Amino acid sequence: MRHVIFRLERDRYALPLDAVREVVNAPLSYTRVPHARAAVKGVMTLRGRVVPVVDLALLLAAVTVSERPPPSPKVVLLELARRELGLLVTEVEGIESIEKVGPQNRSRLVRGLARVGPVSVTVLDVEGLDAAVAASFANG
Amino acid sequence: MAAQWDTSRYLGLFVSEATEHLDALGKELVRLEGGVTPEAIDSLFRHSHSVKGMAGSMGYEATTALAHSLEDLLDRVRTDPARLDRAVADVVLQAVDALGGHVKAANAGKPFPDSAALIAQLKELTHSIRPGTEPQPSASTPANAPLVESEGPREPELPPRWLVTLRVASTSAQPGVRGFLAYKRLSSLGNLFRCTPGIDEVKAGKLPNGTFTVELESSEPEAVVSKTVSQVADVALVSLSRVASAPPVPSAEEPKPAEPEPRVVGQEPPRTVRVRTELLDEFLDLAGELMLATAGVREVGRTLEETDRGRLNETVDRLHGLVRGLHDKVMKARMTPVSVITDRLPRAARDIARRRGREIELVLSGSEVELDRAIVDELADPVLHLLRNAIDHGVEPPEERRMRGKPPRGTVKLSVKRASDRVLLEVEDDGRGMDVERLKALAVERGLLTAEAARELPEREALLLSTAPGLTTATSVTDISGRGVGMDAVKRAVEAVGGTLEITSRRGLGTTFRLSLPLTVAMVNLLLVGLGDDVYGLPIAKVAGVVETTRASLAHSRDVPVLQFGSAVVPARELSQVLEVPGRPHDVDAVSPFVVVDTDDGRVALAVDALLGQEEVVLKALRRPLDQVPGLAGVTVLGSGRAVFILDVARLERPVRAAAAGET
Amino acid sequence: MSKRVLVVDDSVFMRDIIKDIFAAGGFSVVGEAGNGVEAVEKYKELKPDLVTMDLVMPYRNGIDATREILRGDARALVVMCSALGQETMVMEAIEAGAVDFIVKPPRAEDVLAVVKKVLGES
Repeated sequence: MRHVIFRLERDRYALPLDAVREVVNAPLSYTRVPHARAAVKGVMTLRGRVVPVVDLALLLAAVTVSERPPPSPKVVLLELARRELGLLVTEVEGIESIEKVGPQNRSRLVRGLARVGPVSVTVLDVEGLDAAVAASFANG
Repeated sequence: MAAQWDTSRYLGLFVSEATEHLDALGKELVRLEGGVTPEAIDSLFRHSHSVKGMAGSMGYEATTALAHSLEDLLDRVRTDPARLDRAVADVVLQAVDALGGHVKAANAGKPFPDSAALIAQLKELTHSIRPGTEPQPSASTPANAPLVESEGPREPELPPRWLVTLRVASTSAQPGVRGFLAYKRLSSLGNLFRCTPGIDEVKAGKLPNGTFTVELESSEPEAVVSKTVSQVADVALVSLSRVASAPPVPSAEEPKPAEPEPRVVGQEPPRTVRVRTELLDEFLDLAGELMLATAGVREVGRTLEETDRGRLNETVDRLHGLVRGLHDKVMKARMTPVSVITDRLPRAARDIARRRGREIELVLSGSEVELDRAIVDELADPVLHLLRNAIDHGVEPPEERRMRGKPPRGTVKLSVKRASDRVLLEVEDDGRGMDVERLKALAVERGLLTAEAARELPEREALLLSTAPGLTTATSVTDISGRGVGMDAVKRAVEAVGGTLEITSRRGLGTTFRLSLPLTVAMVNLLLVGLGDDVYGLPIAKVAGVVETTRASLAHSRDVPVLQFGSAVVPARELSQVLEVPGRPHDVDAVSPFVVVDTDDGRVALAVDALLGQEEVVLKALRRPLDQVPGLAGVTVLGSGRAVFILDVARLERPVRAAAAGET
Repeated sequence: MSKRVLVVDDSVFMRDIIKDIFAAGGFSVVGEAGNGVEAVEKYKELKPDLVTMDLVMPYRNGIDATREILRGDARALVVMCSALGQETMVMEAIEAGAVDFIVKPPRAEDVLAVVKKVLGES
């Protein structure tokens, strides 16, 4: 199954290509969402559409965020049943085929670890992410 | 079937014979409630059929129509006698009674009673007893109700419909027979409609390019349909596609061939086509986005040199006009008659009345008035609830009504009127009315009001207390509607579509609920306010006014800052705190705008950093996860491309106010 | 196992042609009948997979025989044999429940194509 490989800081992650609509450059500013948790960057507009964007690093609480902003952050747009969700990431590296996902690090958000060539990649769970995102919006 | 001769000399015979048939029908029906056999239903059917034929001969159109509807119902029941349950029997009895009324009127030379509502009810029931369907539970609307054309009541779920296009091989010796064979094979899978060209042409082998099309209504899967066709030699399946269900063709045993000749344009009835409701939503989204894109182009034009700008603006103006026109057309396509909701109410009213031991006459008017589909969908439950409420809590039991000198049968009127750009929907009963003092007392008891505030509360507002969550004036809690909970939901639903709810009530005389609704939901007039770098939209309809003052000048009441607004004092809040967004530090002596808005819990003044002006915008609904965020009504995109949230002012302050109320 | 066919026609000549076509196509003709009455009896006795039925026959015509066979076995597969010019009768037979038809004089490939389709073999 083909996956989109991207980085959060130096760690590599993967999401199934099926679930990804497109990758766009992160906007310069967002519209803030009231009552939302810190992981919620806000909403961006994309060709007239209003798309909520979440800082994936904060959502996963998996990496220490560096002080320096990445040179060209990207938003990975997930398509979920007639709606979209944007995930802010450090950089998108490409598309790779991932067949075997090992059980390591498995959690609500993580399906497990896979190897792509010499590197190890954390494969994320789309449904789990969606649920976690919903929780960070309904804070109030 | 108007009578061509003087029918008066047959009148005596008509009256006596029709009466006999009706009497027999009624008696047999009541006997049937013990055990139903197809033969017995046949007999009912025959009586009804005889009355129809006699009324037709006499030229009594209204009577014929009523008898015809009754006959249709009985015919349907005949295919499945188990469906003759008490509900059906009741309606049949009503029809028998009404027909008796017609006969009496004919005898006395008086105008016939109006049976339109009853006919509608018979038809609805007939449709609901489609073979192979389970009895429908009483009226409730599915959340995603399909769009229904203006004609006729909503259909129960039909099997899917397929548009089948077939080609008969040109080498076939007898193409007509081949075509007919394929047609027959398809008919074994379900009902066939709209064979084009007509089946007689097909049989005669008159097939343009060797093809013909037919619509198949069948619950068989696609594979079975195509397999069935593949089993006919010399016939190929050109295409097979799902079509939206068309209006019902009553018991089409032998479908009529479509007219092969083009009709004169002037005589053609308005053509309709069914469209998925999601598609209409998408059209609206796209039209809205086109408007935004146009505004975006205009914005870009502002950066141009004066000379270039003129020509660009001219084009943008034209584009804007076109897009606006498109938007209007899309809105028009979404207009749906209120009858989609009200058609099912007579039946619901009867059920509720029977369960509660009330006698009710439901009078419907203006059901042809049209509203945006989204509003109609949202109103289905609230309107049903208002009806329930009127019957259950409004109209008294017959004995009580008699004691009060009222007719034992209560009247509930549901009227819909178009008033300029609004639609007024009223539900009026002639029941006991609401007890304003009792409402106030309850509100005080529950801590919703202070005794003082209750005393000063105008009647209009006091009546609205009945919509407060958990407040009920019903003397007994019933299974049908605890008034408080339901009314709260009604008010919320009405406001969610941009409407308002008003109640008038006279003790002992009745209560009227009046819903004032916008025709469409999509456009909303906003006051844009700035908060730091953020912009929010407040619906103008909810803004009572703006006061510019310093924070230092605010008075305090029980440690809560308050603002003088007109003759009243309203609590003042920082909008940034309400929304839990970082605010800008402010100087207490600097002048800030305070926007006074109407929330569900009264007026509140919201401190903002700046007023940015008014704008009419296209409101977009929020999708998950944004719909989970409290206090948001929708979102829009301004010409600059910035997304702006529209605040749900009515419910903005609820958590805070609830806490404040706890202190008092 | 090859499919079992009953051939009904009042003409021995025609029956032979049809039998040959079936034999060449790998079917086994298990019986034949020369009129409608015989056809109904043979059907009950043999329970064939398929019947070819002439339209016009003495005693009982093909349409009536088809109707009668289907009354006894609603799943019977009856294919009519007709001549050009008998369209109306064929349609009547289809109304009566015949599943398909072949046109006389029968051509081997046409007959086999129709029969295989009816038996769901193609």
